[in-house]
Amino acid sequence: MFSEQAAQRAHTLLSPPSASNATFARVPVSSYTNSSQPFRLGERSFSRQYAHIYATRLLQMRPFLVSRARQRWGDGVQVKKLCELQPGEQCCVVGTLFKAMPLQPSILREISEEHNLLPQPPRSKYIHPDDELVLEDELQRIRLEGNVDASRLVTGTVLAVLGSARDSGKFVVEDHCFAELAPQKPAPTLDIDRFVLLVSGLGLGGGGGESLLGTQLLVDVVTGQLGDEGEQCSAAHVSRVILAGNLLSHNTQSRDSINKAKYLTKKTQAASVEAVRMLDEILLQLSASVPVDVMPGEFDPTNYTLPQQPLHRCMFPLATAYATLQLVTNPYQATIEGVRFLGTSGQNVSDIFRYSSMEDHLEILEWTLRVRHISPTAPDTLGCYPFYKTDPFIFPECPHVYFCGNTPEFGSKIFRGPEDQRVLLVAVPDFSATQTACLVNLRSLACQPISFSGFGAEDEDLGGLGLGP
Amino acid sequence: MADQLYLENIDEFVTDQNKIVTYKWLSYTLGVHVNQAKQMLYDYVERKRKENSGAQLHVTYLVSGSLIQNGHSCHKVAVVREDKLEAVKSKLAVTASIHVYSIQKAMLKDSGPLFNTDYDILKSNLQNCSKFSAIQCAAAVPRAAVESSSSEKFEQSNLQVSSETPANNELTTNGHSPPTSKQIFQQPKGIMGMFASKAASKTQDANKETKTETKEVTNVSSAGNKASGKGNVMSNFFGKAAMNKLKVNLDSEQAVKEEKIVEQPPVSVTEPKLAAPTGLKKSSKKAEPVKMQQKEKKRGKRVELSDDETKETENMKKKRRRIKLPESDSSEDEVILDSPGDYEAESPSPPPPPPSPPPEPVQKTEPEPPPVKSSSGEKRKRKRVLKSKTFVDEEGCIVTEKVYESESCTDSEEELKMKTSSVHRPSTMTVKKEPKEERKGPKKGTAALGKANRQVSITGFFQRK
Repeated sequence: MFSEQAAQRAHTLLSPPSASNATFARVPVSSYTNSSQPFRLGERSFSRQYAHIYATRLLQMRPFLVSRARQRWGDGVQVKKLCELQPGEQCCVVGTLFKAMPLQPSILREISEEHNLLPQPPRSKYIHPDDELVLEDELQRIRLEGNVDASRLVTGTVLAVLGSARDSGKFVVEDHCFAELAPQKPAPTLDIDRFVLLVSGLGLGGGGGESLLGTQLLVDVVTGQLGDEGEQCSAAHVSRVILAGNLLSHNTQSRDSINKAKYLTKKTQAASVEAVRMLDEILLQLSASVPVDVMPGEFDPTNYTLPQQPLHRCMFPLATAYATLQLVTNPYQATIEGVRFLGTSGQNVSDIFRYSSMEDHLEILEWTLRVRHISPTAPDTLGCYPFYKTDPFIFPECPHVYFCGNTPEFGSKIFRGPEDQRVLLVAVPDFSATQTACLVNLRSLACQPISFSGFGAEDEDLGGLGLGP
Repeated sequence: MADQLYLENIDEFVTDQNKIVTYKWLSYTLGVHVNQAKQMLYDYVERKRKENSGAQLHVTYLVSGSLIQNGHSCHKVAVVREDKLEAVKSKLAVTASIHVYSIQKAMLKDSGPLFNTDYDILKSNLQNCSKFSAIQCAAAVPRAAVESSSSEKFEQSNLQVSSETPANNELTTNGHSPPTSKQIFQQPKGIMGMFASKAASKTQDANKETKTETKEVTNVSSAGNKASGKGNVMSNFFGKAAMNKLKVNLDSEQAVKEEKIVEQPPVSVTEPKLAAPTGLKKSSKKAEPVKMQQKEKKRGKRVELSDDETKETENMKKKRRRIKLPESDSSEDEVILDSPGDYEAESPSPPPPPPSPPPEPVQKTEPEPPPVKSSSGEKRKRKRVLKSKTFVDEEGCIVTEKVYESESCTDSEEELKMKTSSVHRPSTMTVKKEPKEERKGPKKGTAALGKANRQVSITGFFQRK
């Protein structure tokens, strides 16, 4: 891995100055294609209803589910539509799931005066034992009961259920299955180690001085200023850096200025202005040395609905001078050195976290892969553009590296699919909290966390370094 | 001895200036490779400690290596104080690098000041931040600074455009050359060439004054275009009619030298204007109703710019660059009014009489304006005069319209008219208008005065719109 390779060279820096100092050339980009075209929006019209996105989602996913159902329950299983259901007959139905959650924030309930409800405080999870599942297809819907765990499923998932309809009008489920992984092209074999650095949640403008040093150390490692020759040589093998969202901190949103009177906030500058300036400087340092892809995140100045459009280049006057800087969408899809990357800034995973009982972000990431949909909860609880022709969040093919940013902690796993697909799942942690980034080795498809730390007055036991006793 | 120099430097920084000397700071200050800076720091520490073991020197180190944590082999990079160095080293499974991070006189409580030092030195060296780094990236070639502005959508001021032109020419290897700047610069030339040939045939006024005037204006408006040859080309098609349009356009839109492709101005052939082709188009469409407003605007402008009259041509040109044609407009007017002599010398463009026929089909085509200015210095100008025209339109209705027509008259006449108007016009409106008229270009003034002279009565002011 990175460290071992770095340690192979002799230590030269604890010695008097030598005559010459090695300079390493950054590994050249041999192949890179940005395949995020489906996530770019041209003319945007919001005059459409969101029902179309569900219709097209079901339409696109139906064939996958039918084939999976046949694989799982045998070819003889009858796949029926809800309108064709006969009571008591076992069959398989394909439809979109809807979870009726009493705790789900509903704007209509909030503003309704007859209920006299106070606005609900935000919770970390909105699940409740009383949640009910409803399966909808093109024409009808039916309540689901039985061997299906409502807490693990979320609205918008397309799945196939095997069971039978009862006279009571409910469908009793015996088994269910998802679309599972899409087909995957084989990963290329590389001869030398190449790394891609994944960072998310830089959180600039947040006011925390500690993370700034960590960010600076990160930049220094990647640009080859820090470390001994071995480490610098390894750093030269970092062929790309992907910043996966939340470059600005939550604090820059300055929501409080909305509530203040205009005369108080007239001359105050938005917190994001200074933060973007800092970001520009960091991006300048990075892009002067390595190709960078910048994805927007939840707190970044771009549109709220998924897919988030790239940040505008006018915000980065210094850094856009370099062609190595690329401003990309969220979700982001690209083929780097033949390895397919797909990732988001974490809004999809955190939304599923809120509406299901799954705790581990990596587990949720894996689940979205199995469901073959990046964010099934869009547009129900996650803002989304009203697509009508296609749903771009369905996996057309399986990536080699699938990541999501801004998770509370680092996680990485190799997931194997039914057709021998091999996916590296990476949960990129929030840098401002954990000072940790991820190094993905393209040759071995393994991921190593890399963390940075300074020292503080309270560090007696090296606790800050995570090297405690 | 050169070797010892850096030791002295570091000594000075640390002890005398009480600075925090990080390796990065030293690297930028002395202009050396980062690794060499690290080694220098180490060397200094060693020597200082050897000669004076009680030296007041606090050192921080950078340690990096791998560590097994939570089942992962985590790569750690940490800045540690000297006293913790050994402890950290022992925890790491594999040590990738250790080097001196910084030296300072005082003990640091936390790593905040280290960051500040690095940040400060970085801010002052932003443009070559990876100059002394150990990794050089071949792909990271800065595009010309122009490119960011050139990729903006044709919203640029002349100044910007002028700065771009040279930059465009200097663009080198980077494949990402400013996308359209160059092409756009070529295109106007091409289109202007087109116009030049057309205009040559269609320019009604062969008067040289107009040409010289227009040339001035052209030069002004095409200030951004360093192509000197253009001046001639543009002067060819900048007829009087076009001049009016120009003023009109410029008033309505401050779009100066756009890089937009010069679209064919809809009607008037003499309209090709490089500066604001779209402006032209728009203005031509709404020329009539807008005319009045624009005249009002122009008045305002003339009032403001009355100071410009005495400037030299070059200055005028410069001013024109910034604000393009409206300025040239007013300055010309000023000149005409106040200093007949200057008029010849500077040969500002004459206030283009509102080109008559905005391309409204209903109107009769205006007779060609007679050669307004002879280069002899006689102040003949085309004035826009408000006249009523009665005619039968296509539906068979008799229509009376008030239109501005170019009318030629001499300056003296104008002055006379102004004076007489002051005498004859009893209404307060005219009194107010007088100073305006005096300051305004002859265009409006003459028009108003013309009217005033013709119809001296209490209802005279009704005719002025």
